[in-house]
Amino acid sequence: MSLKESENTGVPLTALKEGESGIVVSVKSGYGKAWGLKKRLMDMGITPGTKIKVVKSAPFRGPLEVIVRGYRLAIGRGMAEKIFVKVECDG
Amino acid sequence: MGEKKLVIALAGNANVGKSVLFNYLTGLHQHIGNWPGKTVEKAEGTLHFKGYTIDIVDLPGIYSLTTYSIEESISRRYIAVEKPDVVINVVDASILERNLFFTLQLMELETPMVIALNQIDVAKKKGIEINIDKLSEILGIPVTPTIAVKGVGIFRLLEKAIEIAEKKVKPKKVEYGEDFENAIKRFVESLSNIDLPYPPRYVAIKLLEGDREIEQEVVQKNPNIIPLINSIRGELEGKYGHSCPTLMTSERYRVAGCIVKDVQKIIPPSKPTLAEKVHEITTHKVFGYLLMSAVLSSMFLFVFVLGNFLAELLNSILYGLKPFLTSILGAGFLGELLWGGIIEGLIAGATVALPYVIPLYLAIYILEDSGYMSRVAFLMDNAMHKMGLHGKAFIPLILGYGCNVPACLACRIMETQRERLIAAFVATLIPCAARTVIILGLVGRFLGVQWAFALYVFNLILVFLLGRFAFKVLPGEPTGLIMEIPDYRLPHLKTVLKQTWFRLIEFLQIAFPLIIAATFTVKLVEELGFLEVVNKLLSPVTVMWLGLPKGIGISLIFGVLRKELALIMLASLLGTGDFSQLLTPVQMVIFTIVTMFYIPCVATIATLVKEFGWRKAFIITISEILFAIAIGGVLLRILRIVATLF
Repeated sequence: MSLKESENTGVPLTALKEGESGIVVSVKSGYGKAWGLKKRLMDMGITPGTKIKVVKSAPFRGPLEVIVRGYRLAIGRGMAEKIFVKVECDG
Repeated sequence: MGEKKLVIALAGNANVGKSVLFNYLTGLHQHIGNWPGKTVEKAEGTLHFKGYTIDIVDLPGIYSLTTYSIEESISRRYIAVEKPDVVINVVDASILERNLFFTLQLMELETPMVIALNQIDVAKKKGIEINIDKLSEILGIPVTPTIAVKGVGIFRLLEKAIEIAEKKVKPKKVEYGEDFENAIKRFVESLSNIDLPYPPRYVAIKLLEGDREIEQEVVQKNPNIIPLINSIRGELEGKYGHSCPTLMTSERYRVAGCIVKDVQKIIPPSKPTLAEKVHEITTHKVFGYLLMSAVLSSMFLFVFVLGNFLAELLNSILYGLKPFLTSILGAGFLGELLWGGIIEGLIAGATVALPYVIPLYLAIYILEDSGYMSRVAFLMDNAMHKMGLHGKAFIPLILGYGCNVPACLACRIMETQRERLIAAFVATLIPCAARTVIILGLVGRFLGVQWAFALYVFNLILVFLLGRFAFKVLPGEPTGLIMEIPDYRLPHLKTVLKQTWFRLIEFLQIAFPLIIAATFTVKLVEELGFLEVVNKLLSPVTVMWLGLPKGIGISLIFGVLRKELALIMLASLLGTGDFSQLLTPVQMVIFTIVTMFYIPCVATIATLVKEFGWRKAFIITISEILFAIAIGGVLLRILRIVATLF
């Protein structure tokens, strides 16, 4: 990963290549309109500090398949862009 | 001796084998309805066990107990308000951590509960070993290992459930970190004089999680609490640098993670399992799509081949009874009315809908139960997004090609009401089996298969454009796909058959009364000699604008009952099945396109009413009629110009 990566904010999950993993830094969230969707991501186990691995990225900006907390999850690209991760060096 | 009564609720994540367990417990003694006022399915059943009559309520499969979806709201309200005697929490042993995240929330509700540690065999195959006694001790809840598909452990599970229900044992309190416990304590103190159906500690936790429904209820009863909410949230946010909902959710996952660390050992198998290899291929960038086309086309081949066979069989049997029945009914006005109005309506429903709906449901449930449907949703997510929907919406659309009624019902898999409505609207535009009869029987037969194919493509383009239009017009934001991809497994035949059976009953209940009522009305109009009047009334549209023969007004009216009746009526009105003598190729194309779009059939309208209310069903119906007339007329003029060029 040679992308501009700030120490604190990390990169969006979509920046990871297939097979790479990262540690969740934050899910952009608040109490506003999108509260439900972001809460849902966290309910599915994507909370800060969690390891997440991108297994597959569907073609034409399709969804991502990730492994988190030992199971497979499909996340639409728009949602995945809101998940910020710190890249792990050796997947 | 009077039997003792108990109510048991089944709760758990999706894909954990909850419905298999439910089917195992209740057999055919089940009733599928809706939660009052909601379009969320409620499955109930009864069971007799050791002198008890047990009501089993199958709660929707969910991942949390917040208000993200209607299902989650319903579940927690049910547990808190209706207070089942005991909750059986079905837990997937192979995904323990995420399942425990839900278990902890059930415990927060302070309901008596037991755990079914299900799919323990799958976990073993994945190299997962769980110390069951220790898990039970940590949670203070009986844990029974089960394999629902084989019926293993269920007897013991029920014994434990009854024991807990009788003793009314509440689970242990879930201990969170110090800062959270302090915050919860402060909330609980200020909540003491507020009357809510939930335990105060639960309300406090939900306030930390930013649950809007709970927050509204609390604030309504005590507006003075707002500063406290803000200050407690602010303190935690200041200390940890994340929003409070994030913090509380993470904290619960931290506790779940600690428990898992204590009770679980994993030695992953060295080589990928067959299920994983199949997963790889079926989600592959190229092969995934090729396989999907192959699977879906063979599904429809199966549905149509089996459907045609059943339709002909039923047709010959039921019409074989005609001489017998007409001799009883007599040949007079009443006899005609009864035969043509009611019995033909029944036969129509039985020979058109049933033969296609049964194989369609069978095929869909086999694919669903195996886990394939979530792969399809994954592959199609991107395309569906163009219509403001996500991948899961592809499933109702596929169903639509069989019959629009199950398609509209299947829209419940979408999360929000807005998405359900868009998906259902789009599904009603998909040519179902009955419309396929017209497309193939008229255009396919007299103009060639390539033209029939072209019409399908034309339909698909319009479906896409109209879906996009609905997406732009309807207020609200699109939601993205967040979907578990469960491991592949062999479909469980009994569950598949039962799902098909109960769906079929649902279909009959919705569709048949309307098909019969509508058939009766049309027959009455015919017997009273008003059909000519109808034709005349419609002729400005049918003849002048659409350029179709005069008799077609009636056949379009009949088509509302069942789409393919439009063609059958046309044949009987024209007195011949050789349409090429009476219709020009342009007229055939226009007629087919109009029947494709002009109105959902009565059964579909009934479904729309049931799912979305009269107003929305009415709007969809009217706008489709107008659209069909418009597109038919415009196309006619274009085709005429094109025809003069050649």
